[in-house]
Amino acid sequence: MLGTQTSTFSIDEYIQNHLANAQEWHLPFLPPIQLPSFLSLHALMVIFCAIFLIVLFCFLYRKKDRVPRGITNLLESFILFIRDEIAIECLGKEEGRKMTPFLATMFFFILGLNLMGLIPIFSTATANINVTAALALITFCVYIFGSLLKGGLPHFKKVIIPEGVPWWILVILIPLEILTLFIRAFALMIRLVANMLAGHIVILVVLGFVVILGYIVTLPAIFMALFISLLEVFVAFLQAYVFTLLSAIFISLTFNPEH
Amino acid sequence: MDSATFASVGAGLVTIGAGIGIGKLAAAALESMARQPEIAGQIRLAMIIAAGLIEGVAFFCAVICFKALGG
Repeated sequence: MLGTQTSTFSIDEYIQNHLANAQEWHLPFLPPIQLPSFLSLHALMVIFCAIFLIVLFCFLYRKKDRVPRGITNLLESFILFIRDEIAIECLGKEEGRKMTPFLATMFFFILGLNLMGLIPIFSTATANINVTAALALITFCVYIFGSLLKGGLPHFKKVIIPEGVPWWILVILIPLEILTLFIRAFALMIRLVANMLAGHIVILVVLGFVVILGYIVTLPAIFMALFISLLEVFVAFLQAYVFTLLSAIFISLTFNPEH
Repeated sequence: MDSATFASVGAGLVTIGAGIGIGKLAAAALESMARQPEIAGQIRLAMIIAAGLIEGVAFFCAVICFKALGG
């Protein structure tokens, strides 16, 4: 992209080393840790996020307090937001309550992975298309198999075949409806991975300016990278929220196809 | 005229599309927030959601341009 310099600095390689999956974990001031063959860097990040969420919600969140305080208060405000504004808005009262654990898990997991990418020790697992593909696949399975389990094939027929449509439109509409079931999950995946990848690439390119344009641009480059990192924090929350909201909407589209 | 040129031009077009879309969205949102400040919170929420979706479409094509750039 921006070419190599006389100091053999390649911006492509710089971005690749920081964003791509690898078998080594580079910690500051330490030699790189070789990961075993069944793990890779992003898989390790996913495991860390899972462990962190388990510790946060099972041990740090005290359910027996009558009045929530501290971290319980913070987590409860998020979970109540997910239950009231996302789940019950889209799915109605009882189904909203039943789907809230799934939606809350997706929200906190994606939020944790996104925020871990901004801490220098860790790396962004959601910048890997395989991770977001797995998350989108989970949502896909929930809204396909959930609607099949809910009413069986007659119910699923109502999803694909809308009511009151003449037969000659149905010829085009049915393949289109089946295709949109897949396109919705695909869009979820691409939205998350592209947002995370783009943010980190911009930060790395701005920092790469220091080497390419000379050391005179160090201070402005650092400030710009700092402000883009702050924007990235906002984008992390926003993308987790948009993923959860769209999952809820897609679930409501297949669970209650009449409206 | 190799694929890298077309990919760059395509990325610029994607930016134009996303910029126009989100610009119109922000204009409408700000105007309605000025007309009815009581529901500014709801309007802000809807604006954020719509901006996320429009950016999703833009990113679709950005990813395609990225692929064309490499290959």
